[in-house]
Amino acid sequence: MTTNGLNIIYRERDVKNIHELKVYTKHGGYEGLKKALGMKPAEVIDVVKASNLRGRGGAGFPTGLKWSFIPQSEPVKYVVVNADESETGTFKDRQIMENNPHQLIEGALIAAWAIQATAVYIYLRGEFWDVAHALDKHIEEAEKAGFAGENIAGSGWSCKVYTHLGAGAYICGEETALLESLEGKLGQPRVRPPFPAQKGGGLYAEPTVVNNVETLANVPWIIVNGADEYKKIGTDKSSGTKVFCLSGHVNKPGNYELPFGITFRELIFEHGGGVTNGKKVKAILPSGGSGPIIEATDEVLDTPLSYEGLSKFGSILGSASVIIMDEDTDIAWVASRVTKFFKHESCGKCTPCREGTYWLDKVLDRVMAGEAEQRDVDLISNVAHNMQGTTLCAFGDFAANPAISTIKNFPDDFKKHLKA
Amino acid sequence: MGEATKMVKIFIDEQEYEVPAGANLVDAAKGIGTDIPVFCYHPKMAPVGMCRMCLVEMGVRAVDKDSGEWVLGEDGQPSVRMQPKLATACTANVAHGMVIKTTTQAVTDARRNVLEFLLTSHPLDCPICDKGGECSLQDLTMNYGPGVSRMNFDDKQHLDKRFPLGDLILLDEERCIQCARCIRFQKEVAGDDVLGFFERGRSLQIITNSTPPFDSYFGGNTTDVCPVGALTTTDFRFGARPWEMTEVPSICPHCPVGCNISAGTRLERDAGGKAVIKRIMPRQNEAVNEIWICDKGRYGHHFSRSAGRLAQPMQKGASGSLTAATWNEALDRAAAILQAAGGDVAALAGPSLSNEDAWVLRQVVEAAGGSRLGAWPPSHGGQSLVAQVGVGVGTNLGELGKGDAVLVIAADLEEEAPVWRLRIKQAHDRGAFVVVANVRPTRMDDFSSEQPRYATGKAAEWLRDLKADHKALATRLTESNNLVIVAGAEGLTLEGSRALMQSAANLLIESGHTGKSQNGLIGVFPGANAMGLHYTGFSPEAAQAIISQPPKVLIVAQADLTGDDLAAAEWLGKVEHIITLTLWPDDVANQAAVVLPVTSFAERDGSYTNGERRVQRFYMAQGPVGESEPAWRALSRLLERLGKGRAKQSAAAVMLEMTQQLPVFAGSRFSELAHVEPQLPEIGSDFYYGGTAYKNMGGLGVQIATAADQGETVAAADVDVPKVTHARGDLWVIPSAVLYNRAPDFRPTALERLVARVPEAYVEISAADAEKLALKDGDYVQVSAGDHTVRARARVNHAAPKGSIVLPRRLSGEVTPLSLTHGTVTKIGG
Amino acid sequence: MLAEKYAAQIEKILAKYPDKRSAVMPLLYISQEEYGHITDEGIVEVAAIIGEDPTAVKSVAGFYTMYSKQPKGTYWLQVCTDLPCALKGADQFYADLKDYLEITDDGGTSPDGLFTVEHVMCLAACDKAPMLQCNFHYVENLDMEKMKAHLAEWRAEAAGSKTPKKKA
Ligand SMILES: Cc1cc2nc3c(=O)[nH]c(=O)nc-3n(C[C@H](O)[C@H](O)[C@H](O)COP(=O)(O)O)c2cc1C
Ligand code: SF4
Ligand code: FES
Repeated sequence: MTTNGLNIIYRERDVKNIHELKVYTKHGGYEGLKKALGMKPAEVIDVVKASNLRGRGGAGFPTGLKWSFIPQSEPVKYVVVNADESETGTFKDRQIMENNPHQLIEGALIAAWAIQATAVYIYLRGEFWDVAHALDKHIEEAEKAGFAGENIAGSGWSCKVYTHLGAGAYICGEETALLESLEGKLGQPRVRPPFPAQKGGGLYAEPTVVNNVETLANVPWIIVNGADEYKKIGTDKSSGTKVFCLSGHVNKPGNYELPFGITFRELIFEHGGGVTNGKKVKAILPSGGSGPIIEATDEVLDTPLSYEGLSKFGSILGSASVIIMDEDTDIAWVASRVTKFFKHESCGKCTPCREGTYWLDKVLDRVMAGEAEQRDVDLISNVAHNMQGTTLCAFGDFAANPAISTIKNFPDDFKKHLKA
Repeated sequence: MGEATKMVKIFIDEQEYEVPAGANLVDAAKGIGTDIPVFCYHPKMAPVGMCRMCLVEMGVRAVDKDSGEWVLGEDGQPSVRMQPKLATACTANVAHGMVIKTTTQAVTDARRNVLEFLLTSHPLDCPICDKGGECSLQDLTMNYGPGVSRMNFDDKQHLDKRFPLGDLILLDEERCIQCARCIRFQKEVAGDDVLGFFERGRSLQIITNSTPPFDSYFGGNTTDVCPVGALTTTDFRFGARPWEMTEVPSICPHCPVGCNISAGTRLERDAGGKAVIKRIMPRQNEAVNEIWICDKGRYGHHFSRSAGRLAQPMQKGASGSLTAATWNEALDRAAAILQAAGGDVAALAGPSLSNEDAWVLRQVVEAAGGSRLGAWPPSHGGQSLVAQVGVGVGTNLGELGKGDAVLVIAADLEEEAPVWRLRIKQAHDRGAFVVVANVRPTRMDDFSSEQPRYATGKAAEWLRDLKADHKALATRLTESNNLVIVAGAEGLTLEGSRALMQSAANLLIESGHTGKSQNGLIGVFPGANAMGLHYTGFSPEAAQAIISQPPKVLIVAQADLTGDDLAAAEWLGKVEHIITLTLWPDDVANQAAVVLPVTSFAERDGSYTNGERRVQRFYMAQGPVGESEPAWRALSRLLERLGKGRAKQSAAAVMLEMTQQLPVFAGSRFSELAHVEPQLPEIGSDFYYGGTAYKNMGGLGVQIATAADQGETVAAADVDVPKVTHARGDLWVIPSAVLYNRAPDFRPTALERLVARVPEAYVEISAADAEKLALKDGDYVQVSAGDHTVRARARVNHAAPKGSIVLPRRLSGEVTPLSLTHGTVTKIGG
Repeated sequence: MLAEKYAAQIEKILAKYPDKRSAVMPLLYISQEEYGHITDEGIVEVAAIIGEDPTAVKSVAGFYTMYSKQPKGTYWLQVCTDLPCALKGADQFYADLKDYLEITDDGGTSPDGLFTVEHVMCLAACDKAPMLQCNFHYVENLDMEKMKAHLAEWRAEAAGSKTPKKKA
């Protein structure tokens, strides 16, 4: 399935059974951790900074910079791995945890060493029940082999790794909601500041780094091969490979690990085997349900994919969950479907999101039932705009995106549903 | 607060202001006259930024590090960096150079939008809503809201409009705006984490799953902090509209905290056109109760209107039975009795007597040639030590925190003084070192750092020997910045309690924690005015002496002698004539020669001196029952008959006299007690934080200085520890207090739902003792202690130490011991 | 009583966190496993273990959708009908499955009480649509034919030839 032979993350494609510890170590596994333990924590952070690694959870925040925010003077610190993976159309982290789990454990421990964390918690969405239980076994193996837990690799440094299962709430992917959830509370986002990296803002109020699974899975490679090697992959501003989760109307949906800078066209047609039934592609959701939906013009199809590349179309790369819709797709229906997701998942903490998602859904239902007029469509757009920029966390912005972008980019699809 | 707070410059709507550094932006803006509307924010709770009503444009002026001057831009104007998005003011603290815009289109739109969002789910049933007229949602919608609804009415959710969270609080799910103030109050402020959200998104609802449901002593406060009419008390619901009520400032009569309350009154046809209290709300006094009261204070006032109040004077006729009399007849008779006493006259005063009552009572006794002034009940000693080394003037428990320490000893604050419990809990949250010493666990333990235990009856010795026996603990307490000791008399005799107070005083004196604010001693004395009785000359020791040597003529003023003392009927029998001033035709009245009906706190003016020695004024809220009169007036008329000048015409006049004759009250003229100053946070002038009843218009009170405050040297004294022993085989009997009980000032309350919370009589016994006695949890037992026999259910648990039982007082008609004693337990039923 | 029956498991869970409250979610799973769904009894027991008021526990149970507030069939089938799956025919699959099991409502249970079927949001298996979760285990790349085979197998399992797969 792979392309240019460079699988930093999905190494199972090159090495069979790499999920087994002995296979993993035979193929260079935990060398990154050992190397990191020979470096000063600050040096590790410098390497990650220099590599230009950016967060794969959606926001693309520079990882090394995030680690450097942790106040070293605090005695208790945590690394929390965001394995909530609940964004519509995202299914990349699960594959990492199933097929290359030790690389995540290793990456998380390198992060833990870099910030001198006292423990690592891997927060998995509740549906990853089987994944979590398998991961527990891998962690145990790693501990037995001296790569986790007490006195790691003989360094004298200890750090336990734990998994924690959520229980069905998309919002727990938002890092502060995740921390609340991990503390045994409702998964409702916290007010920032303080930020997770600050005292008072993280897990149990201690400074905490929260990173996505894919982000951390990159780290061992960077430590072993160096920042310069890493920067050679991808674009100027987006280094390395990215896993693209391709789904919807394509012949070969799946995860594709590719360097930043490839185009939608390459992704859909070279890797994804083209659109199902030979149809034309009409629209793309480049970043799962939460990003604006865009029309699949030639210009769009030929744009290099990177954090910086999609902004000119008013969209984002986010977690790179690329959902393809063919020419027969009713975009009003898409808007309604995605809005239902957000209505279902709104945590309810803040007014515009709680009320807005409920209201949008109601009016979209009327559109789909053929009972609406143009002013209802305008109302949807207006209500969605009123949500944006006013909510406590980015969920509210996400939730408004589908309605706004579909009405803007595909007005005719709505007209079809209106009362005469 | 100590050193002057640093001031910083901020800019709101282009205007420059100086505000205290680090202050909450909403509070700071309010302080300088800029209104930032809020729903979820409440100045007494941590901000959560949920409702989004307070969105403003926020930015910062660049400051030159070296010169401290504003950095100027190319246009010569200070350069400002604005945040790209609107920000919540409630979660921001002011900082130097902060730039805020509240009048821009973006802010106006955001406010309108948030209101529109809230109203999409709101039922708009304002005409029948209890909050109508003092509702933030109503008010803010008028000011900032959209004119018309764009929400299709059929799309609204329909929810339960009468969901009982408990028997006292109802939730209207449709009106709730999910601000979480109630949940946060219960968790952060009260420490009773019994409310929560259920589900999520638009389905989010308030629930409770505790058993029994929503039974926090502080639950009523949630209806005050609720910004809409979602939470109502079953007591007040549909009782009156807020604008129909007159708010009368009052003081809660139930415990030594002295919470400032506001009685919402209305003229009622059913009450013969007289004013009647419809609800009690807290009235802001930051130094006393902030803006909180307990549920006993909120609902307990119903006792004043329950059936059975004495409406007319009575006197004992020739036949020996009581017959109705006019005031003149009754007073003439009383005067005659006093004059014939040959000077053998004494008085027993209960702790709900006001300062003025007590003062005139004393004058009556003295006019009749007597001198013995007993303070009832004779269970708690050490009032004079509180007068010497009580908490310094200006003390505010709400400001204790990191670096400070509080020792609570021999008290169950949750039951005896709930709002102190609440405030010390918060001091603990702020980092104060809170130690709760007792023979048994109490609720306060949950909010403390250490819970040392001492042997039953040994509180005074334990504290006296603290430095020797528990050096680390003693050091931690004495070396803290501020130290407050809160001492009760649980598990002690009167002598033991006085010894404990002396131990506490010594510790404070020796470690220099006296004579300054935030330091000193607080006594957990029963009732509202134990300190007032002390300052007017009454003492529990005198009461004990009266018991052992009854006078010829005894005046009993609002003291429940027979409820507290099993032997009362017997020793009262030795008194030739009893003159009693009472609300109820009680057992004492039955033995009395003259019975004078007096008004409750709600029906008169007066003042109380609280446990922190703050003299606080209360005002007449409702009309008297029958012919009842305030005790001071009845006594003053009696005094006139004894030839001591003309009767006083007002409580104010009595206090005026006191200011001249009792130096401690010198500063307590009613006009001074009525003095108010602006308080922070500013609450009550608008509806943001729950209605106008909070506003303090009755006065903040005047705190009596201690001897230490006045610079007198107070020396430590020997701790005179009484020997307490008991017969072999006996158990210690520790009487305890329970907030809801069958005492006369609570039990006759008309609010049955509250009375239903008075537990069935119980006794706590340790598992070890229960085993010895072959008792199971729930067994029906008889406690015999001296002449007392009390039947109760056994609660076998860890709440009683081995060898002791804890016997709550006044849960049944049977009289329980007042102070530490000993006795036996036998099973009488399963 | 959960505390006794699952003592070892609970101890292990509590050891993971510096604050007992964090154990509420794993303990709720245990309680759900024991009682079939979230019951007041289970809530009170969990609350006692972590030392919180039952309200806090119920509140958590209410927020998360994987805690079932009602009894479910032996097999709790959660079909993803979120956008990517829907683009691959998940709506039809879901409707067919309900019909086949004679279930009329979302979240309804088959007349034999064996299967509860509901549709859920994205399960992170978009490339393997249609798919569902059966008692939290993924079953992917489905069509009705494959589904019928699974159902037959589960029926047989429930009939006693095998012990049913645990919910948790
Ligand atoms: C509503 C919402 C949902 C999110 N869901 C996820 C998620 O499922 N997984 C994830 O890794 N990050 C998610 N994020 C991003 C996280 O908040 C956070 O930025 C990320 O875990 C940081 O890790 P990174 O820097 O490695 O990307 C979400 C953010 C928001 C606002
Ligand atoms: S934006 Fe939505 S998800 Fe985020 S806090 Fe508000 S209600 Fe919760
Ligand atoms: S968000 Fe600031 S007052 Fe509610």
